[in-house]
Amino acid sequence: MKTPARLSFNNSEKSVFPYLFGLLFVLTLADSWRRVGVDLLVFFERQGRENIVKFLGGMFPPDLSSGFLALMVGPTLETIQISVMGTLIAIALGFPIGILATRNFSVGGILNEADTAGAPARFALRFSIYCFARGLLSFFRAIPEFVWAFMFVRAVGLGPFPGVLAIGVAYGGMLGKVYSEIFEAVNPRPLEALQSTGANKLQIFFYGWLPQVFPNFISYTLYRWECAVRASAILGLVGAGGLGQQIEISMRMFNFNEILTLLIVLFLMVAAVDYISAKVRAIL
Amino acid sequence: MEQYRLEKVAKVFSRQQIALAGIDLSVRPGEKIAFIGPSGAGKTTLFRLLNLTLRPSSGRLWLDGDDVEKLHGKRLRETRRKIGTVYQQHNLVPRLKVIHNVLSGRLGRWSTAGSLFSLLRPLDVESAHQALKQVGIEEKIFTRTDELSGGQQQRVAIARVLIQNPEIVLADEPVSSVDPSLATAIVRLLIEISRDMHKTLLVNLHSVDLALEFFPRVIGIKNGAAVFDLTPEKITDGLLEDLYSGHFPQNGEDDITDENPSPPVLQ
Repeated sequence: MKTPARLSFNNSEKSVFPYLFGLLFVLTLADSWRRVGVDLLVFFERQGRENIVKFLGGMFPPDLSSGFLALMVGPTLETIQISVMGTLIAIALGFPIGILATRNFSVGGILNEADTAGAPARFALRFSIYCFARGLLSFFRAIPEFVWAFMFVRAVGLGPFPGVLAIGVAYGGMLGKVYSEIFEAVNPRPLEALQSTGANKLQIFFYGWLPQVFPNFISYTLYRWECAVRASAILGLVGAGGLGQQIEISMRMFNFNEILTLLIVLFLMVAAVDYISAKVRAIL
Repeated sequence: MEQYRLEKVAKVFSRQQIALAGIDLSVRPGEKIAFIGPSGAGKTTLFRLLNLTLRPSSGRLWLDGDDVEKLHGKRLRETRRKIGTVYQQHNLVPRLKVIHNVLSGRLGRWSTAGSLFSLLRPLDVESAHQALKQVGIEEKIFTRTDELSGGQQQRVAIARVLIQNPEIVLADEPVSSVDPSLATAIVRLLIEISRDMHKTLLVNLHSVDLALEFFPRVIGIKNGAAVFDLTPEKITDGLLEDLYSGHFPQNGEDDITDENPSPPVLQ
């Protein structure tokens, strides 16, 4: 049982901070409402109503002609392929960087205590690797996949490849960050036991660390794949292949009935991915 | 030559929590020593120093003539190989099969690639089987570890030490979570292993009776210091009373294995 040596709480003293934060929250909300231009009346004005009716009315009936459906097969497969390849690249980036960004793997805790005690150079090296890994993940994550796709289209040209790269980098950042959080929450006792046999850190990682968090690790990766399917469907809007390209064309041509077909395809795709990942999770 | 030599070894955790207040100790190869004393006396901290998991805050610790302060990286790992530890909570990896937990005792000698491969196809099934047979649960070799009972898991942990084949065996409260008859059996097993294979054996024990019955040298630890270091026949009831006096065991209280323990506060 853990008992803190000293309890430094003083409950009798009331703090003003909750009130301060409450006020700040209300002000932020009010200001955001005004600046973002939330205007619910738009749905009731004549012009707005007509636009909505025109758009929704135009969607029905969906274009289910065999010609259009045949046209959809290619981009649909491409979208799924982009998401799969992108997620694989994201794992390849996020997994190793995520390990290095795990605090109790890289710098702190029981796996580093004896090794870095009295060796400041060792500690400094580990600390800089840890900071670099975290920084890299933040950088990958900070730029939205849409913007990455835009840049990669400029770099490598139109088509699915920039979409794959965009998903790989942006999702690599997200996976790495969450992996490191999953890894940090592990029970350290088995790790200590493995270390005491003379195992090195990688051996400790694969024998003690990964097995403990494996279900979590897999289910989060699958969840990210689901997100990647959706993301790769819209990356086409900036010219990175897949269904998005078709959505853009139909939008521009005011073919709203095609849009509805596309939305149905998207829905079926996401539902299928959801079903597959649920099945995989059930096995674990 | 001495195997362990400790001079005024102290361990202070953050926030001035003194776990060990300066211990002198010398252990010869092949010795069998039991450590007894109240919970929170610092016995577990001492063992984590002895197996090179923690570093002393002050004082010096030599292992086979090496000052442990100077061990880092590869040399530190090679030195850890010489010491096998059985933990109070077994510290096995629950989701792995028994065989992988047993074979993990070999990690210090295996290459990284080889040990990864072994997770797919166990490299040394024969040795693992042998070790499990020695502790009496060879039929559990391919069972998932979290399906075993506490006593069986403790046997797996001992099999891991057997596979590691260290020069020194440390056992930290190895029997506090099993019933008394099994406790005697496990202590007997540890004694036999260390006798047959000429290993140094250091054991932390809750049970004074087991310590006095099986060990030729018994050390009492209280408030982070050694209060006696004697053969069992010289240990009187008075000494034991002093050792445990002023200590009221509480519900759920246990020896501390955490980073931030609540040891006796010495001010």
